Amino acid sequence: MAEKNVIEFRDVAVSYDGKTVLKDINFTLQNGEFVYMIGSTGAGKSSFLKLIYRDIVPDMGDVIVNGYNVQSMSNSKVPYLRRSIGIVFQDFQLLPDRTVHDNVAFALEVTGQSRRIVKQRVLEVLSLVGLSHKRLNMPDDLSGGEQQRVVIARALANEPRILLADEPTGNLDPEASSQIMDILKQINNRGMAVLMVTHNYDLVRKFPNRTLRIKDGRLEVVDANTLHTEFRSF
Amino acid sequence: MSLGYIIKEGFAGYKRAKFSFITSIISLMLAVLLLGLLARFGYNTYEIAEYLRTQVDVEVYIHDVDYNRRLAIRQMLEAEAVVDQVNYISKDSAAAVFIRDFGIEGSTMADLGFLPASYRVSLNSDATLDDIVAMVELVREHRDVDEVIFNRMQYQMLQSRFRMVMLIGGGLGAFILLTAIILVFNTIRLTIYAKKKLIRAMKLVGATNAFIRRPFLVEGLLQGFIAGLLASGVLDLVFRYVLPKLIPDADEMVFQWPLGEWYYLIGAMMLLSLLMGLFGSRWAAKKFIRETSIATNE
Repeated sequence: MAEKNVIEFRDVAVSYDGKTVLKDINFTLQNGEFVYMIGSTGAGKSSFLKLIYRDIVPDMGDVIVNGYNVQSMSNSKVPYLRRSIGIVFQDFQLLPDRTVHDNVAFALEVTGQSRRIVKQRVLEVLSLVGLSHKRLNMPDDLSGGEQQRVVIARALANEPRILLADEPTGNLDPEASSQIMDILKQINNRGMAVLMVTHNYDLVRKFPNRTLRIKDGRLEVVDANTLHTEFRSF
Repeated sequence: MSLGYIIKEGFAGYKRAKFSFITSIISLMLAVLLLGLLARFGYNTYEIAEYLRTQVDVEVYIHDVDYNRRLAIRQMLEAEAVVDQVNYISKDSAAAVFIRDFGIEGSTMADLGFLPASYRVSLNSDATLDDIVAMVELVREHRDVDEVIFNRMQYQMLQSRFRMVMLIGGGLGAFILLTAIILVFNTIRLTIYAKKKLIRAMKLVGATNAFIRRPFLVEGLLQGFIAGLLASGVLDLVFRYVLPKLIPDADEMVFQWPLGEWYYLIGAMMLLSLLMGLFGSRWAAKKFIRETSIATNE
């Protein structure tokens, strides 16, 4: 049986140049759970995500992701940790010289999948995000919302257990943002854990889930309904 | 492991970053061509210097003695390590040479038979001046030897010039090689820098560092291969068509391929070009893979 917690932080602290960014962080993300993370710019949200995909290691405490302890794992294991996580950033990070199909296939090819699996899986994930008909288009031919859907498809290609989304709607209009949220909900309903960093409180209220905020380096639970008044402060 | 993907990506590097791909090839080609030219000139200079050194010989004039005593001198000379060859010049042969050199006027003098018999001693190319002088002194002491002539100054001058040319050539070669390596590695670094986004995306989806590196190695080898071919072609053109036009009176020795065959130098140039392409790409890719963060704000 799969482990219940796909991400676990135990008394984690991170600091840069002597300045503490995160302290006493205890957090769990369970299999199939959807969690929002909010916080002002520079609060430490990116550092929180970097710990998960092991771009940085904690100064103190343990971060366990899909069974990998990010602090004690060897560098050679990091790619395997990342294959178990789908990552979506605000800037789309698509390769502009490849078609939609090739951008998604790329994620499977670089992990050494066979041609048959690549072909089959690319079609599956592009269908999931509703873009199979645009598989031969170049990224520049797509709208922002469509590009972000390609990024989600690429993130899902290796069938990760967790999807990390760092402000996935940050560059999108409300309609495209809602479409992205629909897709993320759909993915979550299939059993994948989703951790989404966002500043868009309208979306948080519209699609309510457990919401956490990083403030003064600490993590606190927030009631989504109280966010309206705080929105203007960001 | 998808070998097809690695090869496809390695070759696609040209299409994706044409300018930096061509720049890398040009810098590699220039580096290899310079080294090839230097190697070919250097080798020919060495050969000419060696030839000139072998032209400096020792003349041992002997008294009018019988065959057995002459033979004893010959055996003594041949036993010396610095001696390569010993040729006997009889009194008659010496007279013939004298007549040839001085013409009909010389025949009266030659008929007097005043020219002694001698041994012309060719020296080994690796003989040191000290060893030659020691041999000359020893031979001079022999009771049947009349005189020993050795142009010490000429030999010394040739040897010191030769040493200087080799030192300058070697230093220049090392300097060009070092400059070429820095130039080529930095050009390849810029090529790979242009693909930072690709490296980031590969890290993002969980490609291993070795996997990310491989297409760059294939691309580096391809660049090295093309640059090596171009450099070899240009080198051949220079020696076959350009130099004979510029210096039509030059001895054929100046245009020789090192070791007598074209494939030694061309093979070395191709190998050097491939290795520089491969290791330049490997070094630059390794550095960028290590330094590239997958986060968007870096």
